[in-house]
Amino acid sequence: MKKIAVFGYNNLSYEAISRLDQKSHDVLIIETDLSLRESAEEKGFKTKDIDFRSDSDLKSIGIGHTIDIVFCFLLEDSSNVFLTLSARAIDKDINIIAIAGSAQSAEKLIAAGANKIIDPYQICGQKIHELIKKPDITNIIDHTVFGRDDLHIAEVAIPTGSYLEDTYSSALSLNELHNLVLIGIVDKELDDNLHFAIGEKDHKLDAGDILVVLGPSREIKTFIKEVAKTGFTAPSN
Amino acid sequence: MLAKPLVYFAYLLKTSNYYQRGKQFFYNLLENPQSKIKSYFDLFMICLVMLSVFFLVYSVEHELSNTGEFFEQCVVSVFISEYLLRAWLYSDSHRIIIKEYEKSEYLNTPFSVLKTLKKVLGKKLEYMLSLFAIIDLLAILPSYRPLRILRILLIFRLFKLFRYSNSIKVFADVLSSKRFELITLAIFMGFLVFISTIAIYLFENNSSGGNVRHLYDAFYWSIVTISTVGYGDITPVTFGGRLVTVALILTGLGVLSFFTSIIVSAFNEKMYTLRENRTYAELSRFDNFIIICGFGRVGQEIAKNFEKDQQPFIVIDTDENNILLAKAKNYLYIQDDASKNTVLTNAGINSGASSVICATGNDVVNVYITLTSRFLNPKVNIIARANRDDNVKKLYQAGANNVIQPFQISGLLAAEYVGQPVAFEAILGILQEQKQILMEALVVYPNSLIENKKIEEIDFKNRKLTLVGVISSNKIHSKRRNRYKVKNQHFYFNPENHFELQAQDMIIVLGRKYSIEHFQDQLEKSRLRSGNKS
Repeated sequence: MKKIAVFGYNNLSYEAISRLDQKSHDVLIIETDLSLRESAEEKGFKTKDIDFRSDSDLKSIGIGHTIDIVFCFLLEDSSNVFLTLSARAIDKDINIIAIAGSAQSAEKLIAAGANKIIDPYQICGQKIHELIKKPDITNIIDHTVFGRDDLHIAEVAIPTGSYLEDTYSSALSLNELHNLVLIGIVDKELDDNLHFAIGEKDHKLDAGDILVVLGPSREIKTFIKEVAKTGFTAPSN
Repeated sequence: MLAKPLVYFAYLLKTSNYYQRGKQFFYNLLENPQSKIKSYFDLFMICLVMLSVFFLVYSVEHELSNTGEFFEQCVVSVFISEYLLRAWLYSDSHRIIIKEYEKSEYLNTPFSVLKTLKKVLGKKLEYMLSLFAIIDLLAILPSYRPLRILRILLIFRLFKLFRYSNSIKVFADVLSSKRFELITLAIFMGFLVFISTIAIYLFENNSSGGNVRHLYDAFYWSIVTISTVGYGDITPVTFGGRLVTVALILTGLGVLSFFTSIIVSAFNEKMYTLRENRTYAELSRFDNFIIICGFGRVGQEIAKNFEKDQQPFIVIDTDENNILLAKAKNYLYIQDDASKNTVLTNAGINSGASSVICATGNDVVNVYITLTSRFLNPKVNIIARANRDDNVKKLYQAGANNVIQPFQISGLLAAEYVGQPVAFEAILGILQEQKQILMEALVVYPNSLIENKKIEEIDFKNRKLTLVGVISSNKIHSKRRNRYKVKNQHFYFNPENHFELQAQDMIIVLGRKYSIEHFQDQLEKSRLRSGNKS
């Protein structure tokens, strides 16, 4: 169970929290505005009112001990930079995801120690550009992967002892056997980067490698279960 | 007796599509400032006028050959046709007749043909007395042999250029906007010239030992001096004459600076219109451009991407700082409120714009712009930004084709990053075309090599492509598995091997840019080849 501290309760944080798998994530919302806090509580979220400028307050909610991930979703870029800097100073390994209102703020957040920057305006701009340039593709991604439709992109890590160990990516035939499309592979033997599965290279699969697949969630779940099985024999064509 | 056929003829013209289309065509050719063919016609007329003036100058010292005479006749024919066409376009005579007829029917009064024809001719006369029509007529008349004496009036052809060039029109507009100041200056100058003419004649006439022989010399000297040109052919020699000269030179300087400042200030005031005209002129060159309403962070990001794609676009924003940014980046822009009908019409929503993007930070403004755009053009593609969830539905109701929620997408990506960082990179990678990997939709054209082919027969693997799915509205596939409704089509995810592709289906493939382009070329070629055979 990953513990997440979300600073700021707004559209963005609500969307992020509701998309998270509630079973594997323990979310705590930090919000100073009472009405926002109440509306978050109405939706069943845990909330707290602390001063993000105080290190002791940050420690009191578990930063440095129990919190794994911090979402810096405060409205002011300067507040997010300050929070990132404080959280990074307290815990070197904590995962910090922050929003940036401008390109300059993004650079400052990276310098302050954020792991991932999300710029809503940049993403929105790119999205609109894609809608004009490739309306069909964007509509499909919106309706399926981004929408509430039953089609998702998921990553499947190969556990030790899986039947997939020492097999080759070309032999996976996920589309025929599991009704999934293989999008890419992280081949730890090579590096930590994602290699798109476009038939350029045949990857030897080992434990720890990650497969990125696209498909209906039921099929993804079944596939994850099967991958975990040892000595499982893949159905023949 | 004449009334019946006249009214019948008027109704015939009103209902005749052929007549209406013809009139619309000539309106577009001669008058419609938004039309493309008008700009070609204007250019043609400018060349024609210049050539005819060249022949005129040539004929001063040379005899025109037969070809020259023939050319002159052609030019005059064009001018006459243009003159008559403009007179025809100026008013709809059949409408006047119908209006008069219906009025008399309603009031139960007799329909007077004479009165109606008077009204029709009155309208045409109104046109003939307009400045441009007079210029047009004066450019034609001297070509008529009995009126050869008026040959000098052919110079009026040069004035015809005013009709065809926007910048000359703007200059005339600028002058006319400062009419009051210019008239004041002209009156003042008139007085000045009159006084100096009389004064210099009195001081410098021949009997007083001066060089001024008569009043015309004095007038000529005054103009040459007041304009600070000073040829020096007539110079004052008497004390009084020199005193007048000094006074006139000093006042002349003042008058000149006053005149310059009037023109400069008029241009300054018109600068915005001039720049806007240039923007519209540039826009009219494109057929498929995009209107971006709002040049905040989102608008800037969109513009940056379009600039990369060399996709023409225009930015509309009211904010001074945002407009300065657009100006610095050399984008086409209009500083105005995009929710006004006129602004969107001028920006070309009905003449070449393919999409309108409502990207302001205010949902209320976005809804208003969406509504205005949909009202002005029912077919244009509208993409709107919504900051609040509740407004998404309103934007769709207002007529948006797509609504984007920046905070929703960002929240979703944040959640994706936490849960599945690699999948997050995959989505971002595909969306942002990182490493030249793209997801592309390829159309199955009729007669192309994949039409009526089963998926297993198309070797995607060898082409270094991954098939993700098929988009189709063809009912033949309706019983296939993995069917998702997307807008008014269906997306078939991971189609089975025996899925048979039909014409106009779209296959969604993932691959490098080269592989996709190569496959697309092959599809195009196969379609053209089979097209040639058939």
